[in-house]
Amino acid sequence: MPTTMASPSTIETALVANNICKSFGPNEVLHGVSLNVVAGEVHALLGENGAGKSTLVKILSGFEAPSSGALVYEGRDVHWSSAEAENSGVILIHQEFNLAEQLTVEESIFLGREITKGPFLDKVRMRTLAQGYLQALDCYADPSARIHDLAVADKQMVELAKATSRNARVLILDEPTAVLTGKETKVLFELIRRLRAQGVAIIYISHKLEEIEEIADRITILRDGTLVGNYDANELTKDDMARLMVGRELSDLYPHILTPPEDAEIVLEVDNLKIPGVIFNASFSLKKGEILGFAGLVGAGRTALMEAIIGLTQNVSGEVRVFGKPVAYKDLSEARDDGVAYLTKDRKEKGLLLTHGLCPNFSLFSLQKFSNLLIDETAERKAFEAASKVFDLRVGDMSVPAGSLSGGNQQKLLLAKVMEVAPQIVIIDEPTRGIDVGTKSQIYQFIKELAEAGRSVILISSEMTEIIGLSHRVAVMCNGTLSGILQGADLEEHEIMRYASGLKGNGKYE
Amino acid sequence: MSSMTTTGVKKTRFNLDLKTIGPFVALIVLFLIGILVNQAFLSTGNLTNILTRSSFIGIIAVGATFVITAGGIDLSVGSMAAFISGCMIVIMNTLAATMEPGIMIVLAGVFASVLLGSAAGFVNGFLTTKGKIEAFIVTLGTMGIYRSLVTYVADGGTLALDRGVRTIYRPVYYDSFFGIPYPVLVFLGVAILGYVLLNKTVFGRHCFAIGSNENVARYSAVHVDRIKTLTYILQGICVSIATIIYVPRLGSASGQTGTLWELEAIAAVIIGGTVLKGGYGRIWGTVVGALILTMIGNILNLTDVISNYLNGTVQGIIIVVAVFLQRGSWRKKK
Amino acid sequence: MKLPIKIMGAALGVMLALPTASALAEKFTIGVSIPTATHGWTGGVNYHAKETKKRLETTYPDLKIVLVTAADPTAQANDLEDLVSVHKIDALVILPTDGGPLTDPIRQVKESGALITVVDRALTDDTIQDIYVAGNNPELGAVSAKYIKKALGGKGDIVVLRGMPIVIDEERFDAFMEGIEGSEINVLDHKHANWNRDDGFTVMQDFLARFPKIDAVWAQDDDIALGVIEAVKQAGREEEMFIVGGAGMKDIIKRVMDGDRLTPVDVLYPPSMISTAMEITALKAVTGAPLKGTYIVGSPLITQENAKDYYFPKSPF
Repeated sequence: MPTTMASPSTIETALVANNICKSFGPNEVLHGVSLNVVAGEVHALLGENGAGKSTLVKILSGFEAPSSGALVYEGRDVHWSSAEAENSGVILIHQEFNLAEQLTVEESIFLGREITKGPFLDKVRMRTLAQGYLQALDCYADPSARIHDLAVADKQMVELAKATSRNARVLILDEPTAVLTGKETKVLFELIRRLRAQGVAIIYISHKLEEIEEIADRITILRDGTLVGNYDANELTKDDMARLMVGRELSDLYPHILTPPEDAEIVLEVDNLKIPGVIFNASFSLKKGEILGFAGLVGAGRTALMEAIIGLTQNVSGEVRVFGKPVAYKDLSEARDDGVAYLTKDRKEKGLLLTHGLCPNFSLFSLQKFSNLLIDETAERKAFEAASKVFDLRVGDMSVPAGSLSGGNQQKLLLAKVMEVAPQIVIIDEPTRGIDVGTKSQIYQFIKELAEAGRSVILISSEMTEIIGLSHRVAVMCNGTLSGILQGADLEEHEIMRYASGLKGNGKYE
Repeated sequence: MSSMTTTGVKKTRFNLDLKTIGPFVALIVLFLIGILVNQAFLSTGNLTNILTRSSFIGIIAVGATFVITAGGIDLSVGSMAAFISGCMIVIMNTLAATMEPGIMIVLAGVFASVLLGSAAGFVNGFLTTKGKIEAFIVTLGTMGIYRSLVTYVADGGTLALDRGVRTIYRPVYYDSFFGIPYPVLVFLGVAILGYVLLNKTVFGRHCFAIGSNENVARYSAVHVDRIKTLTYILQGICVSIATIIYVPRLGSASGQTGTLWELEAIAAVIIGGTVLKGGYGRIWGTVVGALILTMIGNILNLTDVISNYLNGTVQGIIIVVAVFLQRGSWRKKK
Repeated sequence: MKLPIKIMGAALGVMLALPTASALAEKFTIGVSIPTATHGWTGGVNYHAKETKKRLETTYPDLKIVLVTAADPTAQANDLEDLVSVHKIDALVILPTDGGPLTDPIRQVKESGALITVVDRALTDDTIQDIYVAGNNPELGAVSAKYIKKALGGKGDIVVLRGMPIVIDEERFDAFMEGIEGSEINVLDHKHANWNRDDGFTVMQDFLARFPKIDAVWAQDDDIALGVIEAVKQAGREEEMFIVGGAGMKDIIKRVMDGDRLTPVDVLYPPSMISTAMEITALKAVTGAPLKGTYIVGSPLITQENAKDYYFPKSPF
């Protein structure tokens, strides 16, 4: 192990974790995990949700203290707080960003170590520096813009800029690409390579095995809080990784889904839908039993289009027909009553009441069903118990708040909540973001069953393989315009990218 | 948390109980202090006084529980109470000038009160939801408006209810049913209705949902604006019910009526365990909160140990301690 | 120079009755700044100020009176600046919301050359004012004490409901305690009731629960007294005690006039002192007479015999 005494200037610096255990109350979640990260390497940390990756990196970066075990940084034992870790150059970029929404980009980057000139802030200098950091990341966000107004990808770039501005020695990225498009991911990878060449150690957490294969030098795999092993990246294939993570062989991730008959009834038609400044033109139709994928870059307008259809957006022109009947929903309840339901991609902010219990969350969307004058709590509980079986909600204690569930279980709860109204048309937005392989496969299976039972599904996803693997047809959006609908042999990654980037079809990409 | 046991269910029940029981414990402690301070505390007369007195703030606070649970705040309730009382008196006096004083005049006053309460609540709700102005600012504005309107109507003085009408109306405050004063019965009724509405109906659930996360509520097909407006209307109706039993007490209203009631109502709600930023509401906690507040004042009046000038200090300390106990933050510290 | 107000009033009456519209050489502006009507007594002040303004302006066509109300010292200080800069007042009549903080703003007005008349609440520097018209708070306490002592034959148990903890309340209370000193009158307890009916009601309820025998109540203020009356009636103990209020609210005066056993007397502290101040100031403007000095409005005892002299059914107070 490279734990030699080294000055920070050499590239031998490293962070070592020895036999780390962590308990929350009587619950041990990490059982003696060891890890060593060498300067100048990209070290991937792999594992299903709940395997203990996040806890481990929180310990490495001082947000949690280990119950036992030791941390060695640059040759010395450390017991640090997150502030000390950051000052020493060990920086964690959280999966959920740690940015104050009302600050500007520049203020966020220099938060806590503002540059001053005498008693005053040296705004000019901070702005120049901030611009420099951002440009190095290929990000052109305005340093004076508010975080609140940035796209998710830009928020991440601000986090990265903040880290690079602090001379990171060990940079920990927790699922950095979950919110990025393919293009942005490329930029991120370039940055990672550049940092690696400068001798920065990078700990990289992701569910996307392709990315691991592309970027990682070494891989550490965790399962249920124990160490499965440390590997050289070129030792493992993607299948190996998946198998080691799950501990069992995964059958084909994407199930075979029956194709609806040619003459199947058209359940949803959208003609020339427009929202000023957001959606310039979108027309498509959806058949009974069909899964229609929606591909596109982040910000192409897929979510905006769906929110317009279900009545969350006003000021919409064009025509929407549900089961042949023209509709213009004013709010979600009207769509719901017509059998159209939407599963948001933003589980934490729009999907679930994180501080409330599972059952009230489950029934919130379908509450009328359980209510005469008063809510029939027995019926509600029974329905919840039934649904938690159907959706395989794996929670020991059903009385915990929704926020304490893992991402996978939250997604299942959200599915259960929306499906309780038995919608005929289900719009599912990014159903597998930040979810482990095991749960993903369950969700795919579920989508298959939905379609084969004669329901119709619109699937928005930024994971190309997922879109291709599940959809019968794929609509591609580019810059607010539905640029093309692909099927059959055209349903292939490069073709989709051509439409998504505006090279083909009627979408224009500026 | 050292109290965690192996079965999660047990743990939760333990926590839940302490949180709900907290205000009750505070009430009992205060009760014991009352007995120690003065034997007169335990007299039937005094206990009835406490219950009757707490009914104004209590009824208003039941309404405030809904508003706060749904993430809002209403600062205008005290002024609203003054304004509604003033209008009731003017209306009843006008009627009394044209006809024989009778039960019809009182009923007309009651009807007007409920109508005004709902309307005032609707204004608050409408401005907050459709006008998209923060509830704090809207109700701060209406607070000033109602207060000055009643001062104007009273011409800076006091509005007194017609003597004839007063005689008919007076028993509503002073009489009782099997030893329980009417205001206490009304308070109890409002609390029971409030409890059912908040905990057993779709409306109540939607209040919880909106208070904890408006976006989630919207994406769950909750009519956010409608529900929020309804909470303010409900608050207005509660204020009007409170004034219906307040007016017969002194038979008057002035610019001073109901000053600081808004803060007392909010304090009662928070002492009772409702979260100020919304998402959780407890009606019985609110009821206990109102009793605690009234009891503090009562006990201070029953003793001359504490200097008059320090009343505010004692009240402040008890409120903070009560909330501290109820939050249980002292248990997590370890 | 201290003149008994009765004599002053008579003198003013004679002077004002003179048809002296032409006596004013040019237009004369008086600014009147008083507290917002937040309770009965200030409500009375507002009523009397408005009435007097109307009356004086009809009598003297060349006299202009600007009436402003303020809720707190800051707002009142702002009002003063406006009176000077916008209305260019020649004289100021002010009932300060609080004498202390307003001393300097009033000094500013004085420096602009205006005549200053201060009403009721003293400034920290009494050289600023030209004319001072005030009620007599110690006298109110002393008169109340004297009556209670006499009515109880120098012996008995009483409770006291005080106002708000400010100077006025202290003066009244201290003079009262001094007044009963040496007698066998025992003050069971005293609590603040904030010159407010609701507080008067609750504090009295608690006194009634606490003390089985109360011979008299000194409520100090008529608003408080009204609350006390209800509490005593609720407890059914009207026969046991009597109540002495203060200020001269019409409802109480009416009861005194009707010979109500519960409220046999009242002690005057008239909101109409603002009228006196305005009249004196106007007179100064009219005659140019050197009317300087302090005018103390007395606090006489109002009994059934003289009550009708103090009864103004039209006043809101």
